[in-house]
Amino acid sequence: MLRRIISIFKRDLKVNLKDFISLYIFVIPVLFAIAINLFTPGINDTTINLALLEGENPEQVRYFKDFAKVELFGDIDNIKSRVKARDDIVAILPNQENYYIMSQGNEPKGVIEFAKILNSFYQLDIQIEDTNVEIKDFKRTIPPLKKQLVNTAILFISILGGMLIAINIVEEKVDNTISAINLTPTTRKTFILGKSIIGLLLAIFGSLVLIFITGFTDTNLIQLLMIVFVSTLLSLLVGFIQGLNNDDIMNAAGSIKLLFLPLIAGALAIELLADKWQKFFYWNPFYWAYKGNDAVLSKTGSWKEILFYSSMVLILSTVVYLFLAPKIRKGLE
Amino acid sequence: MKLWFSFIKELKLASRGFYFYIEIFMALLILAVLLFAVPENFESKQTEYIHLNLPEMNKKIYLQKIKKMDINGSFEEVEIEVDNKLIQSKFYETEDKKIYIINEKDDLIKLADKNRKLGAVIKLNKNNKLEYEYYLQGYESKRLKNLYLISHIEDTDTLIKALENQDVRPLEADYDTLTDRENIIPIVLTFNGALMGLFIIAAYIFLDKQEGVIKAYAVTASSVWQYLLSKIGVLLVTSILSSLIVLLPIMGTQPNYLLLLLLLLTTGFFASSLGLLIASFYDNIMQAFGTIYLFMLVIIIPNIAYIIPGWDPIWVKILPSYPILYGFKEILLKNGDINYILKVSLGFLVVGLILFAISNRRYKKTLTV
Repeated sequence: MLRRIISIFKRDLKVNLKDFISLYIFVIPVLFAIAINLFTPGINDTTINLALLEGENPEQVRYFKDFAKVELFGDIDNIKSRVKARDDIVAILPNQENYYIMSQGNEPKGVIEFAKILNSFYQLDIQIEDTNVEIKDFKRTIPPLKKQLVNTAILFISILGGMLIAINIVEEKVDNTISAINLTPTTRKTFILGKSIIGLLLAIFGSLVLIFITGFTDTNLIQLLMIVFVSTLLSLLVGFIQGLNNDDIMNAAGSIKLLFLPLIAGALAIELLADKWQKFFYWNPFYWAYKGNDAVLSKTGSWKEILFYSSMVLILSTVVYLFLAPKIRKGLE
Repeated sequence: MKLWFSFIKELKLASRGFYFYIEIFMALLILAVLLFAVPENFESKQTEYIHLNLPEMNKKIYLQKIKKMDINGSFEEVEIEVDNKLIQSKFYETEDKKIYIINEKDDLIKLADKNRKLGAVIKLNKNNKLEYEYYLQGYESKRLKNLYLISHIEDTDTLIKALENQDVRPLEADYDTLTDRENIIPIVLTFNGALMGLFIIAAYIFLDKQEGVIKAYAVTASSVWQYLLSKIGVLLVTSILSSLIVLLPIMGTQPNYLLLLLLLLTTGFFASSLGLLIASFYDNIMQAFGTIYLFMLVIIIPNIAYIIPGWDPIWVKILPSYPILYGFKEILLKNGDINYILKVSLGFLVVGLILFAISNRRYKKTLTV
């Protein structure tokens, strides 16, 4: 049986390599990782954007540059059109003795508050040298946003694994090879296992690449692989069902698209919603997978926690499987 | 006329397929999630742990001050877990913060470390002035640290007075803002509506290639562009339907639906033409998949800029999904910028036409072979 599984896998690998798709799929995690590395330093800089008049008060410009991103403009008209632009930027402009804040009117409250505070500090001539605050830190270098992006990317890749399987199976169907399989000594289970390997490999390879390039190397890899493994099982399952039940790629692709929704919903729920809303997402296996990944990437996860999250994903996947098993059987006939 | 018949035929075919209903189902699902699981506004209060290393007298004064800022005007006794033991803490909730007063400094450090929140120890220096010890995570930006450094130099009353004297002059007064829930809708419209065609049209074309529909088409009187355009038409109808399913129940009659239709049609046309062009370089979906996936990833990036207001580099603004996102946002706003919507629509129409013309030329050569 093992030999047959491997030969099915080898065949998939060959076909996929021929189509360059594996190349893409192996390249995508690398690109993901590089992109995450490039963006996060900029995104992490939680501050506001200020527009100031060039040459009007160089000392003020120097002062604000310590606390905000400053853009300089030659005259008021240029500043006005900059403030009116689509992003959130406010201007601090001279008005006789004092300075006023020019806003567009649709900025979030926090942006205006920040500008008011900065301008007050400047007017009161408060300097960093006079500080009465001592800053200590826990020597963490990876910002939370980077962790969130890596987490989402890992789950994305697991869905990609499912997609790969669905497309592979639909391709078999189009070539009428599934019925041919029934004539060989290869059993259904063997066929399923053989077909799953390529998707599983992609997910595991992709997650490892992501983690190494983005610098999470000191996380507990075994814990991470466990979560990746169970969450990939789910995408593989769905990939299979879509592959078997759809006669063309069109429908298979459309239904796989459905998987992105619970993924994004789970991630957003954890990051944005208050505790009381969390229970509405307990049905969602990606919710638990995201939590598990987060615990591993933050290096706070105990084995007990990780096992709990993994088993939640596993249980929910099993429910999906039990629900859909008859369809798989039918699809293989 | 031929185009119209061809479009109607495609629409009929699509309504028999499974795909059409997946889109509708997906829209209903998104609607349900938005309505029942997403609150009007998200919670964005910062959590702080504070330990007061002060004489009783000063402690009292300090707690009085926080109490005044509490939204209920009083504190709550809560239990928090640290290192598997429960400790007592006073909990205050102000308009923008959740503050826990922690009795032991060690516990404070552990809490700030484990929960990744801000911790602060407040004490007196030799001259009996307040002094602060901040526990940060380490990844905070230099600018934020600078702000922490100067935030307690002046006493609160002077600062509040200076803040109250700040003169803020908005360029336009009656700006409407969206709730957090409504703010998600442009993302849905952009990705489930406008840009959906990018991927799906390619799948459509390859399906027809496989089934030999395209060869059959070559012997009819219709031209290739009519065939392509009728395919795009079906996708546009689907995206309009699924967008309306989400939009109508949440926004009611507030948005300008005429403008919405315009933007959906032009951006959908652009995305489908782009999908057509990409697909024309490949023989089957497997090969095209990688490139299309890459495009999808790139156009997802502006979402980050949309959600995080402070981050807006120029290269993100060049990506097509950026103007689409903000275009839809303007449509949802009461006094949206109509000029902007028209400009964006025109831009996508022109680029879409160019892409369509190029793909048409390519398909003329390849489809009939």
